[in-house]
Amino acid sequence: MGLRLASIAGAIMLWWLLSLAMPANLLPGPVVATVTLYKDLAQGDVLPHLAITLLRVTGGLALAMLIGVPIGILMGINQRAEKVLDIWVMVGLTVPSLCYAIICFMLIGLNEAATVVAIGLTAAPSIAINLWEGVKTIDFKLVQMAHIFEVGRARILLRVLLPQVMPYVMASLRMGLGIVWKIAVLIELIGRPNGVGFKLFYWYQLADMAQVLAWTLLFTIVMLVIELGILSQIEKRLFAWRPRVGL
Amino acid sequence: MAAQGGTVKADAPAIAIAGLEKHFGTLKVLADLDLVVADKELVCILGPSGSGKSTLLNIIAGLETADAGNVTLGGKRVGYLFQEPRLLPWLTAERNVDFALQGCAVPAARWGELKDHYFALAGLSEFRNYYPHQLSGGMRQRVALVRSLCVEPGILLMDEPFGGLDELTARRLRVDLLRIWRESRKTIVFVTHNAYEACYLADRVVVMAHGRIRDEIAVNIPRPRDYDDPAVFDVNRDVVRRFLAAAELQPEHASALPPVPNPVSHSPGGLP
Ligand SMILES: Nc1ncnc2c1ncn2[C@@H]1O[C@H](COP(=O)(O)OP(=O)(O)O)[C@@H](O)[C@H]1O
Ligand SMILES: [Mg+2]
Repeated sequence: MGLRLASIAGAIMLWWLLSLAMPANLLPGPVVATVTLYKDLAQGDVLPHLAITLLRVTGGLALAMLIGVPIGILMGINQRAEKVLDIWVMVGLTVPSLCYAIICFMLIGLNEAATVVAIGLTAAPSIAINLWEGVKTIDFKLVQMAHIFEVGRARILLRVLLPQVMPYVMASLRMGLGIVWKIAVLIELIGRPNGVGFKLFYWYQLADMAQVLAWTLLFTIVMLVIELGILSQIEKRLFAWRPRVGL
Repeated sequence: MAAQGGTVKADAPAIAIAGLEKHFGTLKVLADLDLVVADKELVCILGPSGSGKSTLLNIIAGLETADAGNVTLGGKRVGYLFQEPRLLPWLTAERNVDFALQGCAVPAARWGELKDHYFALAGLSEFRNYYPHQLSGGMRQRVALVRSLCVEPGILLMDEPFGGLDELTARRLRVDLLRIWRESRKTIVFVTHNAYEACYLADRVVVMAHGRIRDEIAVNIPRPRDYDDPAVFDVNRDVVRRFLAAAELQPEHASALPPVPNPVSHSPGGLP
C-alpha cells in the first residue's frame, strides 16, 4: 500500500514538473486540472455525463460477457467448436473497435442499442480467449475423484468445475472492463450527444487542455474506484482459500 | 493363474477379474488379464511404469470400460486413492471429506463419528480446518486417505499413493497404512513400482508387465511387520529378481518364466 501511494505521488510529481517545463495552456499541471474538475462538478455538468457513460459501460460489459464466456467455455471443452470458432475469435480481435461502432450505427441507428452492441462486440473476443485458456487449465482428475465418491453431475458442475473457472471469469471481467471503458468513450465521441467521450471531444475542439485533463482525471479516478474498490474486493472474498503469494 | 485355493479361502472373492483386455487405439494395454483378490486381502501389484497398472485400477473402479473380459466385485463400494491427493483446494480438509460423504450419501448422523475416528487414526485431528495448501504433501495424502476411509469402502484401490512423496514421509505413511488397515480390515489393491514397498505391505505381490500378470509371490511374514525386518529384505530380493525377469520378457512371449541369467546386485526402488 505504501509503495502504491509513493508510486502515485511520484507520477503526480512528474506531471507537475512537466507542466512547469511547458507553456501553461499546452500542459496544465495537476492543481489546475483538479480545480477545473472541481468547478465542473460544482456546476452539476459532470454527473449526468458520467452516469450515461457508466450505463453504456455496464451494458456493453454485460453483453460482452454474455457472448464471450459461453464461446470461451465451448472452445475450451470441445475441440470441434475450437476449430470452427478460433479463427472468428481472432478476426473479432483484429477488427478495430471503430469499425464495430460505425457498422453498428449504420445498421442499428444512432442510438443506445447500437452503442451497447458495438461495445459488447469489441470486448467479447478478449473475454472468450481468457475463458478458453481458463477452461483448458481445468483439472479433470478432480472430476474423476468426484466420480469415485458417487457425486452427481449437477454437483460436479457446481462444486468441482465452477470454482476452477471462476478465477478466469473474474479476470476476464476485469480485463473486459478495461477494454470496455476505452471503447465506450471512443464510441461516444463519434456518435453520441452526451457522455464522457462526448465531453472530451467537445473540449478537444475548443483546445481547452485543462478541461481535457480534468475529464481524463475524473475518468481514471472512477475507473480505479471500481477496479480496486469493488472488483478486487469481490475477488478477495471469492478466492480467500488461495495461498497468499509474494511480499 | 490367480491363487484361489478353494479350501483356504472359502469366502466369495472381493474382486474377480477374468480375461480382461483393453486397447487405447492400436496400443494393447491389458491382455487377457486374470486376477482374483480375496476378501480382506492386501495385494500389491508391482510393475514398471506403462505396464497398465493404472488402467487396471481404473477399470476396477469403473472409471474406464474394458474391451473384453469381466470384473466381478463383491458388492461393495470401491474407494480409490490416487497418486496425487486430488483434494479440492478451495475446501478445508474436513470439507473435502464432507464432499465425499455427501456424494456417497452417508447418513449425516454418522459423519461426526466417522470423521473423528479416521482423522484421529491418521493423526490429523488438529488439521481438520486447514486448507490443502497449508498442509505438507504427506499430510495432504493422509487427508485423501481419511476421505477414502470415511465413506467405508469394502475395497480400497491405491495407485502409487506414496510415489510422489519423499522417502522418509512415504515410509512413515506405509507404516501408518498397515496400522490403519489392521484396525479397519478391508480389501486393498495397492499398485506400486517399488518392490520393497510391495513386500512390506502385501499378503501377496503380483508382478505385472506389458499388460499381463507374469508372476506372483506370497509374502508370509507375520504381522505386525517391522519396516526393517530382514525377512522383508529377503522377500524383496526374490521379488526384485522375478520382477526384472518378468519385465524383460517380451510382450509376445508366453507367461512361463525363463531361468534368471544374472544375479541382481541392486534393488531398484528398494530401501538401502
Ligand atoms: N487414456 C489413455 N489414452 C491413450 N493411452 C493411454 C491412456 N491411458 C494410458 N495409456 C497408455 O497405456 C499404457 C499403460 O498406462 P498405465 O495404465 O497408466 O500404466 P502404469 O500405471 O502401469 O504406468 C501406457 O503406455 C499409457 O501411455
Ligand atoms: Mg500409473
